[in-house]
Amino acid sequence: MPPPFFREVERIMNHFLQVLFDGLLNGLVYALVAAGLSMIWGVMDVINFAHGEFLMVGMYVSYWIGFFLDVDPLFSWIASGAFLFIMGAATYRLIIRNSLGKSAMAPLLATFGLSMVLKNFCMNRFTPNFRLLSGTVLEGKTISVGGAILSVPQLATAAFALVLLACLYWMLKRTRLGWAIQATAMDSEAAELMGIRTENIYLLVFGIGGACVGITGGLMTSYLAVYPEVGSLFSLIAFVVVALGGFGSIPGALLAAIIIGLVESFTGFYVAAVVKYAAVFAVYLAVILIRPKGLFGW
Amino acid sequence: MLRKIAFTVVLCVLGALLLTGVAVAEDKVIKIGALFPLTGPSAVSGQNCLNSVLAAAELINGAYEGFDVPLAATEGLLGGYKVEIIKADHQGKPDVAKSEAERLYNQEGVFAVIGSYNSAATKPASAVAERAKKLFLCGASSSAALTEREYKYFFRHAPTDAIEATEFTDYITYLNEKKGAGIKTLGLIYENTEFGKHAADEGKKAAAKIGLEVVADVPFNNGATNLSSEVQTLKAANPDAVFGAALGGDYSLWVRTMKQVNWLPKIAINFCTGYQNPAVQKELAGDGDYFMGGMSFSPELAKEFMPEALKVQEKFYFPLANQEFDSDSLQEAVMLLVLGQAIEKAGELDTEKVREILATETFVSPLSLSGEVAFEPGGQNIKALSVITQIKDLKYNTIYPEKFKNAEPVYPMAPWDNR
Repeated sequence: MPPPFFREVERIMNHFLQVLFDGLLNGLVYALVAAGLSMIWGVMDVINFAHGEFLMVGMYVSYWIGFFLDVDPLFSWIASGAFLFIMGAATYRLIIRNSLGKSAMAPLLATFGLSMVLKNFCMNRFTPNFRLLSGTVLEGKTISVGGAILSVPQLATAAFALVLLACLYWMLKRTRLGWAIQATAMDSEAAELMGIRTENIYLLVFGIGGACVGITGGLMTSYLAVYPEVGSLFSLIAFVVVALGGFGSIPGALLAAIIIGLVESFTGFYVAAVVKYAAVFAVYLAVILIRPKGLFGW
Repeated sequence: MLRKIAFTVVLCVLGALLLTGVAVAEDKVIKIGALFPLTGPSAVSGQNCLNSVLAAAELINGAYEGFDVPLAATEGLLGGYKVEIIKADHQGKPDVAKSEAERLYNQEGVFAVIGSYNSAATKPASAVAERAKKLFLCGASSSAALTEREYKYFFRHAPTDAIEATEFTDYITYLNEKKGAGIKTLGLIYENTEFGKHAADEGKKAAAKIGLEVVADVPFNNGATNLSSEVQTLKAANPDAVFGAALGGDYSLWVRTMKQVNWLPKIAINFCTGYQNPAVQKELAGDGDYFMGGMSFSPELAKEFMPEALKVQEKFYFPLANQEFDSDSLQEAVMLLVLGQAIEKAGELDTEKVREILATETFVSPLSLSGEVAFEPGGQNIKALSVITQIKDLKYNTIYPEKFKNAEPVYPMAPWDNR
């Protein structure tokens, strides 16, 4: 038995580690939620107010597949990602394209309207009940790292987030499609003159944005209850992440999300739990004042 | 030409008759506002409360045999007046609750409003009623502050957080004295709202009275994306007992996060929260087991002490809500039945007369645990009773007080890895 002083140091270190890992894991999930939003914002200069509701729809898709077909979220994320890809593309084709060029506020208000429709549709069809998948493959599993206990479902979601963000980054930087997306983001008219079909790029970007959040939602059902309001705070945090990381930047979104996760976690534990979101939004305000284009903005 | 004139006259007469008919039909209706959080973070509970009020309205409006419940056997009120429920949604937001209450009284012309579940919403909505000298009946909001305002038109059925907190500490004293539980420290986790803050304040006051040391005080924002830091704070302080005040999704997130960090106190007792909601417990499956909470209704309790509530549940509530009553929702139905009795006793739709009767008389209430309802000045139901239950296998077993007890408590809570 170590002397009391060392036991106390060990206890403090264990708490520190736990808070650190909580912040990292939550941050990685935020990064994945924000990645799609960042791309849409960066490429098209459109704020998708329905992003949180896209997340909620992704969670419902995964939940119902799990509930009716007994498919684990470890696999159903493929379906929720595909569903949200189509939904994202359809949103562009049916709503965004018609509102672009009318007024600066038109796409924003259109997506706000869409968010209300989605939320109320789910409220009406699925009731406001909290739905939680039981008996998933990873449910209740934890691993111990140092003195910290990590939830395996959350760890799996974070690992997926890293892989997916790496794929997105690779696609943007190393493929012709990625170059076309970047070119469209920089100057859509010039891109069009160079033979890039910007309409298709916009469609694809909205689809990819939807797929990212759909995959996240699909995975999150392994540890989080789904209900019509579940996306609200996630989307607000995603806006902060995008503003901090820089519009359209995937590494920016990753770094910003980790910063946000850590700020939330450390403030929540070492200052007071009730101010953790206030601290997150204080970071947002600071970024707006000091560096409006974010850490890695295009 | 004549035919045209005749046709027009007939049309006008028919129209006038139709309108008169509508007017007559409207005259035979008593509009009651049902103001609840039908959307937003508390929507599950709000929908349950609304369904409960609708069930009570159905019971009043029809004539039903075999129910030993006032107003069930006769059709409507005052010899044929039907109760019409006007729904309103405050989304859990105090400002919306205020404007919706104004709309209900001023535009819809409701005779009274029943609501509003969230204490934070009930407070401004009932202030509107008080200013307009209209009745506001509250079933479940538990903030003690609501009945400390000396309002004349506000009546509340639920036991306050102060009553519940004292009951919790009485139970801890009982466990310490009779079972040698050794509970010395307390942690509080609560949503940072009117309800949560008052519940926590009352919890602290009651704890101080029995010398329970508060070692963790953790408010959180409702609808949070995670409760990692909150639970970590509790775990670091490692209190023997925890008082919780978390609604719906936050409650399930709290329980799941405690499981994730593999920590539990010796006992966790909840104010009226997600604990009471059977739908939330169903989703939590076994993870919700061994938690405790104050309740004034559970199917198990009702079997012995409130059999009429089960009958009403089966006939009227279940078809609407597809689930059993919970403590909160049932109390909203009780308030409509109490209002109905007061209107009957008044013999007319006079707000002042009905208010006087509500304030002075005792009402028979087979859907209440005590069987009666009576209000003291300020509007608190002095007959309010609640018991402490512990959930196991989706059954709420009553463990305290002795009079209502139907099971022994499982103490301390079974650890996560031994379930």
